[in-house]
Amino acid sequence: MSQITKLADQRLQLVLVAIALLMFVTGCPRKPTAGPDAKPPSANEPAGPPPSAILAGRKLHNPPALTATGGDASRAVAAFIDWAGASLPEEHEDGRKALEAARGNKDVVKAFADEITRAQRTDHSRALLALALLGELRSPDAEQFLRDFVNQPFPTEGHKTTEGEIIEQTALGTLQAKAIDGLAYLNSPSANEEVLSQVSKHPSIIVRSEAISAYLWNQKDKEAARRTLLQRVLKGEERYIDQITRVEGERAGSFNPKLEAYLKAHPEVVPPAPEYEKERRQEPSNDRNLNPGNPPKY
Amino acid sequence: MNSRKKALCVALWLACLLGTTYAVCNQSNSSQAERDLWNQHGCWQAFFLWQYLAYDARASNWSNRGFFDACNVNLEYPKHWNASYLLTYKLNDNNDQSFHGTVDYRATAEAASSNFHNGFFHLAIDDNSVYGAFQPPDQLQTSCPLYDNATPTANNNPASRAGDFMHEGWHAWMRKYNWNNGSCGGHRCSGCSFGSCDYFYFHGISQYVFGAMWENNGTASRFHSPNQVQVEFLCDVADQSSAPASVKTAARADANARSAARFINGPGYRCGDPRPW
Repeated sequence: MSQITKLADQRLQLVLVAIALLMFVTGCPRKPTAGPDAKPPSANEPAGPPPSAILAGRKLHNPPALTATGGDASRAVAAFIDWAGASLPEEHEDGRKALEAARGNKDVVKAFADEITRAQRTDHSRALLALALLGELRSPDAEQFLRDFVNQPFPTEGHKTTEGEIIEQTALGTLQAKAIDGLAYLNSPSANEEVLSQVSKHPSIIVRSEAISAYLWNQKDKEAARRTLLQRVLKGEERYIDQITRVEGERAGSFNPKLEAYLKAHPEVVPPAPEYEKERRQEPSNDRNLNPGNPPKY
Repeated sequence: MNSRKKALCVALWLACLLGTTYAVCNQSNSSQAERDLWNQHGCWQAFFLWQYLAYDARASNWSNRGFFDACNVNLEYPKHWNASYLLTYKLNDNNDQSFHGTVDYRATAEAASSNFHNGFFHLAIDDNSVYGAFQPPDQLQTSCPLYDNATPTANNNPASRAGDFMHEGWHAWMRKYNWNNGSCGGHRCSGCSFGSCDYFYFHGISQYVFGAMWENNGTASRFHSPNQVQVEFLCDVADQSSAPASVKTAARADANARSAARFINGPGYRCGDPRPW
């Protein structure tokens, strides 16, 4: 009797393991198929005009006004942020002029601050853009908001990547770096002191580095600014004062000599020669030869 | 049946359930930078019909991520091809000002085998612990923090996503030529703000003709690391492109953050002056 039970038990085990293996093989995410997938992507909407036609239809150099006050200021600022985000490089100065004209409008400053607070929870790119615009406004009325923003508690927990990065830290750090740009651009004694204090006290190198660059860029007397920074910068971060910057539109003739001088002043940054793997692999090209041809023309 | 075998069966069954029902990243909305770029092309269907071949994006990987709803900007596949659009069309390619050209960035990101890497294909994964990964021999994976507005990430924009194509594509370059960039996910394990660091191999502008980014001379004077290629691409988007301002602003922030935090011999280059806008 016990022999029969044992046999039945063994059969049951085999069946269960076979079922489990079958489910594993069929149900678990599989390695993608090797052959070409038959269907191309598709859309639920009919094809529209090409981008060249869309861009040609865009009315350039037409930023929304930033003259509204009271409750209307919120709508005006929201519309301005929409415009600024979509604006093209050739419209950049239009945005700067509109912001300069609105510098004295406290309702606009408050509306930007409200928009930043809202977007910080929902849309990093909009919060970053709105912080840039508020900083460019260069209004003394924005200073307290920017200072408070830079001093928001820095998270110590969150989504941690396998590389050790906490995603929430990077998200807030990049926003706070943009707020630092606004404070440094204000260039008031109190705003400058806030920037300088962040050079040494902010927990993120992203913000400390920006504070160094922004302070230096906004001071007329660069040598005096360098001396000030050398007194405030954390030990081991002195090199950030000399960081090489490529500004928009800069040519090789200007950039390359700067780089050469930097490498001469900081020979310690020259990296060691790259290394090969100990064992050389020779892998197939894995090419499926899909032959997409050239991308479509505008 | 002993308890160990029962436990094995249950574990396998649970693993299968998890594998089949694991949710894709949040696909309910998109960032302003995403939409601003999108509105420049208005969902250009001729482009995504080219892109899925050029990036070897397969229906089996992307069908629940907008592969068959490719004009819905909230979904992952449309966001993926939006990033491809940025790097395919928006760079200025000024040989006297750009670090590298579209030809370099395209060859790094696209699937076809070339001097830049062996053939690979693009797929999305559901994982908040990475932005992306190159999974040898042939998978270029991108993940939730590059797409998802629900994750508190700075990188759910087309510039950062295309920047990750560069980063992961450069791991494929390293693999093709047998370079050892370190044992922590293909990076050095220490020496910067994270447990994943690279060297910055400084080079001037015009030192590489367009198309030659893949070249090296076996020394530090002509070489690139994954984070460096990413920074140089993001810098070119920020300072040398016709992308909308929200995309350029996001690219600059990502480049400068990465330049400050990711290099053993950092900082790398800074992109643009610190004027707020």
